[in-house]
Amino acid sequence: MTSLLELEHVTKRFGRVVIAEDLSFAVGAGDVVGIVGPNGAGKTSLFGLISGDLAPDAGQVRFAGRNVTRLDPADRCRLGVGRTYQVPRPFADMTVFENLLVAAQQGAGLRRRASYAAAVAALERTGMSSQGNVPAERLGLLQRKRLELARALATQPTLLLLDEVAGGLTDPEVAQLVEIVRGVNADGIAVIWIEHVVRALTAVVSRLICLAGGTFVGDGEPTAVLAEPAVREVFLGTDVTAALAGGTLETTSAADAEREPS
Amino acid sequence: MAWVNAVIQGVLTGGLYALFACGLSLLFGVMKVVNLAHGDLAVIAGYVAIGIITATHMPVLWSVVVVVPVMAVLGYVLQRTVIQSSLNRGVLTTLIVTLGLSMVIENGLLQFFSADTRGIGAGMSLVTSSFSLGSQIQIAWLLVVIFAVAVVVLLGLQYFLSGSSYGRLIRAVADDQEAAQLSGADYRHVFGIAAALALGTVALGGIAYGMYSDLDPTTGTDTILLFAFVAVVIGGLGSLWGTLLGGIVLGVAQQIGAQINISDELLAGYLVFLAVLVLRPQGLTSRRAQT
Repeated sequence: MTSLLELEHVTKRFGRVVIAEDLSFAVGAGDVVGIVGPNGAGKTSLFGLISGDLAPDAGQVRFAGRNVTRLDPADRCRLGVGRTYQVPRPFADMTVFENLLVAAQQGAGLRRRASYAAAVAALERTGMSSQGNVPAERLGLLQRKRLELARALATQPTLLLLDEVAGGLTDPEVAQLVEIVRGVNADGIAVIWIEHVVRALTAVVSRLICLAGGTFVGDGEPTAVLAEPAVREVFLGTDVTAALAGGTLETTSAADAEREPS
Repeated sequence: MAWVNAVIQGVLTGGLYALFACGLSLLFGVMKVVNLAHGDLAVIAGYVAIGIITATHMPVLWSVVVVVPVMAVLGYVLQRTVIQSSLNRGVLTTLIVTLGLSMVIENGLLQFFSADTRGIGAGMSLVTSSFSLGSQIQIAWLLVVIFAVAVVVLLGLQYFLSGSSYGRLIRAVADDQEAAQLSGADYRHVFGIAAALALGTVALGGIAYGMYSDLDPTTGTDTILLFAFVAVVIGGLGSLWGTLLGGIVLGVAQQIGAQINISDELLAGYLVFLAVLVLRPQGLTSRRAQT
């Protein structure tokens, strides 16, 4: 099977801080990959390298068989890379539906009716149908996270990058989110999901990557990765088995992310 | 009666100032760029109109149909070349670059067209005719028409920004450029469209001023840019209807100042400007302070 996304020897540093050190990995069409790691491990920056917000110092990013290393985020979005931000960034003075229209018209290149249909589909998929006309600035955190996901979906991606969409949600809300991601993946959209809420990840992903200090310390079948000594060492002091049973690997950091002003 | 007259004249002049100001406000709202060449571009539009009218003997109002699109295209090109490359280097650079552009335009006009003042449509009935309200108030038709044009332009801009997909895109980029890019929006193109709109309105402002008064190479900075800036600040940065309100406040203040003493016309306008800066620095229409 050919890969949808390939990183080849990608390196990125900010001064002495290593974001990615000679990273190489591939994600196939329709795969669901989870990424865990401590704060500052380079998880969100990795998304930046994939979506085009960050340019690598060395190496190549390939998407759908094309070298996209020099393309900007808008170009990559139109090729099929959809991304959510950890702290939602809706277009605040627009309604939810308008947010999605912008994404459908620009990201997916749809016009008029087709763009409306895509926006409606994204609303339905994320369970926001009743909120289409609500101004985005009035949404609460859960709804903002959903809008973030819906807007990424409205660009009709083939690869969806989810950055901590489950943080701060209650158990039933996480369960709903997992269902949404399953549905998205069932349509053939590949998903890479950064998450501190490990139980959300293990419910969906077939492959788990543990990132620390810009390198992979674990990559493979989720339970096997979480059992690896190197991974346990990264999460020193946290009981990974307890995390699997229902906790989070890094409850403090997940809570921190939620506390940022929106 | 003289005071009523001053207020009426001031309100109508506010329409002209709104024409100067709405493009400046739009560019600031979308790109956070203060275009210091704004007024000079209005003067260019006026000179182009004069050139076209002289060369082809085209009716004055028809020249608008030619000049506005020409300036809009110029706006798009300027944005995608000079201004965009300065934007990439920070806000201060755009100030310096647009200031430089202003000097180049002003001195270029002096070089090629001399410092003579030029009017548009002198002797035309629209420019000279007026009507009376009561026995003491004379209202120029031209000012009424300019006010109406300003209202139509603002309505059009508002409709475009809120109702069309390009307008929505401009609002998205104005709100969060990075998030808009992640949704597939090419912000440079969007900036170009915003600049085209802004220069379209500037063209109208330049031609209107050429009919209302006279244009010379320095009118751009010492009148048009200054009044536009004051109207934008009084009305509230980035607010479209605020430019009309700001223009009207400026116009009325000037007319009342002139009523007190003819030489106080400009002073009165700037006193109100200072008062707004001190008492309500976010402008009259903004609900919260701008950052």
